[in-house]
Amino acid sequence: MVELRRRQFLGGMAIGAGALAAGPRLRFLLESEPAGDVAAAATTAAKRQVFRTGHSNNCDGACGHLIEVENGHPVMVKAAPWEDTAISGALAQKFNPRICLRGLSQIQNTYSPDRVKYPYRRVGERGSGKWERISWEEAASTIAQKFGEIQAKYGKPSVWIAPYTGSLALLEGVVGVGFRLASVIGASAGDFEGDNEGDSATPAGWNYVLVDPTNPDNGGGLFDGHEGTDFLNSKLIVLWANNVAETSIPDWRTIMDAKSKGAKLVVVDPRFTPTSAAADLWLPARPGSDTALIDGVINYLITHKAYDESYLRAYTVAPYLVHPQTKKLLRTTDIGLAGKDDYVLVDSSGQPRAAGAADPKSVQLLGTFDVGGLSAPTALQVLADAMAKYTPEHTAEITDLTAQQVTTLAALFATNHPVGIRAGFGLSHWYHGDLTMQALLTLQALGGNIGVHGGGVTTFAGGLTTTAFDLPGWWAPEGTTSFTVLEPMEACDAMLENKPYPVRAAWFMVDNYAQQMSDRNKVVKALKSLDFLVVSDYVMSATADLADIVLPACTYLEKTDLLSSNNFYLQYMPKVISPLWESKSDLDAVTLVAQEMGFGKYFDKTADDYLKDILHIGDPDADSNVAGLTWSQLTSGAPHLNTPTIPYVPFFDKSFPTKTGKIEFYVEMLVPFDQAVCDHKEPIEASPSNPLFGKYPLVFLSTHTRFRTHSQYSNLPWLKEINNGGQGFLEINPADARARGVKDGDVVRVYNDRGAMKVYARLTEGIKPGVVNCYQGGWDTVKVKHYIEGHPNNLTHQIANPTQAVVPNFRSNAAYFDCLVQVERAKG
Amino acid sequence: MADQKRWGMVIDQSRCIGCWTCAVACKEINNQPLGYWWNRVLTAPPASSAKAPASENVDVPAGEFPNVSLAYQPTACQHCQDAPCVKVCPVGATFRRDDGVVLIDYERCIGCRYCVAACPYGVRVFNWGDAQHADDFTVGYGEDYRSDGRLVFTPERPRGVVEKCTMCAELLDAGQEPFCVEQCPAGARVFGDLNDPNSEVSKLVNEEGAKRLLDELGTKPDVFYETAARRDLGDGSTQSGSGA
Repeated sequence: MVELRRRQFLGGMAIGAGALAAGPRLRFLLESEPAGDVAAAATTAAKRQVFRTGHSNNCDGACGHLIEVENGHPVMVKAAPWEDTAISGALAQKFNPRICLRGLSQIQNTYSPDRVKYPYRRVGERGSGKWERISWEEAASTIAQKFGEIQAKYGKPSVWIAPYTGSLALLEGVVGVGFRLASVIGASAGDFEGDNEGDSATPAGWNYVLVDPTNPDNGGGLFDGHEGTDFLNSKLIVLWANNVAETSIPDWRTIMDAKSKGAKLVVVDPRFTPTSAAADLWLPARPGSDTALIDGVINYLITHKAYDESYLRAYTVAPYLVHPQTKKLLRTTDIGLAGKDDYVLVDSSGQPRAAGAADPKSVQLLGTFDVGGLSAPTALQVLADAMAKYTPEHTAEITDLTAQQVTTLAALFATNHPVGIRAGFGLSHWYHGDLTMQALLTLQALGGNIGVHGGGVTTFAGGLTTTAFDLPGWWAPEGTTSFTVLEPMEACDAMLENKPYPVRAAWFMVDNYAQQMSDRNKVVKALKSLDFLVVSDYVMSATADLADIVLPACTYLEKTDLLSSNNFYLQYMPKVISPLWESKSDLDAVTLVAQEMGFGKYFDKTADDYLKDILHIGDPDADSNVAGLTWSQLTSGAPHLNTPTIPYVPFFDKSFPTKTGKIEFYVEMLVPFDQAVCDHKEPIEASPSNPLFGKYPLVFLSTHTRFRTHSQYSNLPWLKEINNGGQGFLEINPADARARGVKDGDVVRVYNDRGAMKVYARLTEGIKPGVVNCYQGGWDTVKVKHYIEGHPNNLTHQIANPTQAVVPNFRSNAAYFDCLVQVERAKG
Repeated sequence: MADQKRWGMVIDQSRCIGCWTCAVACKEINNQPLGYWWNRVLTAPPASSAKAPASENVDVPAGEFPNVSLAYQPTACQHCQDAPCVKVCPVGATFRRDDGVVLIDYERCIGCRYCVAACPYGVRVFNWGDAQHADDFTVGYGEDYRSDGRLVFTPERPRGVVEKCTMCAELLDAGQEPFCVEQCPAGARVFGDLNDPNSEVSKLVNEEGAKRLLDELGTKPDVFYETAARRDLGDGSTQSGSGA
């Protein structure tokens, strides 16, 4: 009955949107960019114009916005409707209009008092806040000249282009024009995956199990997840370190709709977040112990035989034998089995068979078999042996939960199908985040939950469908070679120590590296050491504070682009208003510089024409996901991609791009790292087993809050009014506070060997004792200070896990949460 | 009878995550000045009292770790059938329409603030000074709206009047839902006709026990709350019900 109510409610929303079109007050038109100057077009119209666009900021929302424009100003932002159909015209699904408090604050963001309005040249010391306004022509020629000089002296890759996740659109930001510039001028650039600062560990783990990153067809590593609406098909939803109610707010409705249909909700989080509060089962495991908890569940499933045997036989390496000495998967050649070299399975009579010749319905899943003089266990047996120690009691000891809690969770996995797991990027902010993802996928394989509706482990969705976009052609136009990859985790060493080569200049594009990257003191030192630093941004960020040249960038309302990230819809982004002041899109800014450098021929098209190229509009050979797309379709609504199944499910055909073609929960390539199976490892720093724990006994988290997106929107008036006036605070359990003589509202100093910050204490029973949290992304700029002193990233580190290097696209990761601190009452 | 609507709203606190999207939506469409909120989200034990937030600080739960509970109560004008604000207004500026919507006639309000004192829900705000805005242009609905000739919405309310939630009367009269209902990302707000026994809101009130805030006062709000249902799996730290 409740479900029906929600459906009717959704219907009401759709009718509401229809009613708008015929509303008596305004004529609502869905329009693409008007010809000529946008502001002029709006001024001449007596009515309000309405545009549909996508909000391309760095969050999971990928919300569609309707923007009403009056007299050249955006005066109303609201949630936009979606097409019910795919590009092909086939019925897709009803998708709710979606928005949150951040999206509704975007007019303030576009007109923020912190906007960079003009190009500036630094005239004081770096970080002094002293600037001189210059023309775009002067800025472009200075950049061209400096880049040229530095490349001539130190080599072409010594210029580092860093276009990151400040925008998730196609022409700017994380896959944007910065990479094209880098290729054209031979510079280095950050990994296009963009999620490389703290968002690469779990993607690496995803590749260990589901992808062969050494196969060129896989382009160095993939990452994908289930479409958000697919959680309506789950019987059990586990939000593992995923505070959906704050960080992916519009997806909350899906979670609640699933709950209304009877799904159970489990939340694993050391904090009692709005998400935890709504859970049927909340498990505040010790931060960094997640893999052990998963291992406890895996052990329960194996010992209770509560796994999907036919799924394991058909789609996983469970029955594959493992060589007892090399620990690699056993080959027929290892045991002298005739025929083409192949993996080895054991049939029902105990005889070894080549994988290609075995009957998958009857192969042995568990056991150790004498084959060709070797005593070889199956992969599932190896897993079972490694997991055996994770009894409920032992798991409880590691995770700070009770044995009953572990068993309750395990029993839920054993008795529900399908189980959908949403794993937040918070899990990735750990040195061994890769291992945790490996464990989650192992668990999901046991339950037959991969490649099925309502299942999977989802952090980010839409990655595999990017094959629909001709990104290689966009990044490296004909006649150029692709840029040299230099990760954010590697950039500081390149700047400070010339490793692996010198970087002497950088251009950050809506990327706040000086504040959002871990080990901030090292980052600031590195940036200050540069010969030349360019920052384009729409606000004066902590990174812009350090620049030699600051360029005024556009917000999402002021430029043409396309959003197709985090969901499966194409959202054309028309230029809703003209660029304010002297701001320019990344495309226009890069074009000016490239022209000055003599590379103008690679930047001679309009934004619309680049979009047509990238999407192969009109090309009969276009990728199946966008086949048949027309320009008028793209610019008149938001259609769903032609995905093989809707809601989209990765690997729905159970064809896995691994070496074996199966789910490889036994990871051969990780044998040298003692990580072939997902046996828990303690965090590199934030562990009681670390001697440093005596000095710094608190695990320091720096999570997201709903009042901003990373460091964007932190200073918007409306959002500040409902978020403590914008003033940051440290969440600390009253027990930990009492032990330090700290009262609510006191100023505390948070410190470790890398740095310190000062911030107000907020006492809350909503955080596990031994853990403190300070929301990241508040500003520490010359003009704006959201903490009393410093920023959470003054405390975090840049220790990379070498295991991840086996996945080129996700080769390093900032383990923000794997961090220990001490807290004391600030003196004076 | 069948034609006369009585607009009502049910807020499902099980779905509410305290995100403040409804409040920001309200701020946007009504061009509310800086510092003013017609709609606020209290961190509160569910439904028992509008005036007893669990904490002054957002998200701080009741209880002791790990036996804690947390719920949210979006709080705006309750559109009471027996509204104290209507009774005390000496000039008839605050009035209740036949469809149940309580409105303020901004041309008649004299700013005496009796209504502010009379409202048990604390949801009326008074324009002490000239409105301050983040932007130098007007956002939101953007033009005056009159109901039976009375000015019940204007983008810039004058200094010296009281203002509050209008249930988006201008949208209702155009066949649409209140803006907070449309924009709520959790689907936590259900809107409809309380005079229609088959409407969702009627069913939630009559069959699923949606409650009124401060019901004991007899103000009879047309805004109702479904109490937050919390943890129901035995995990050794179970707390069901309100946690109040």
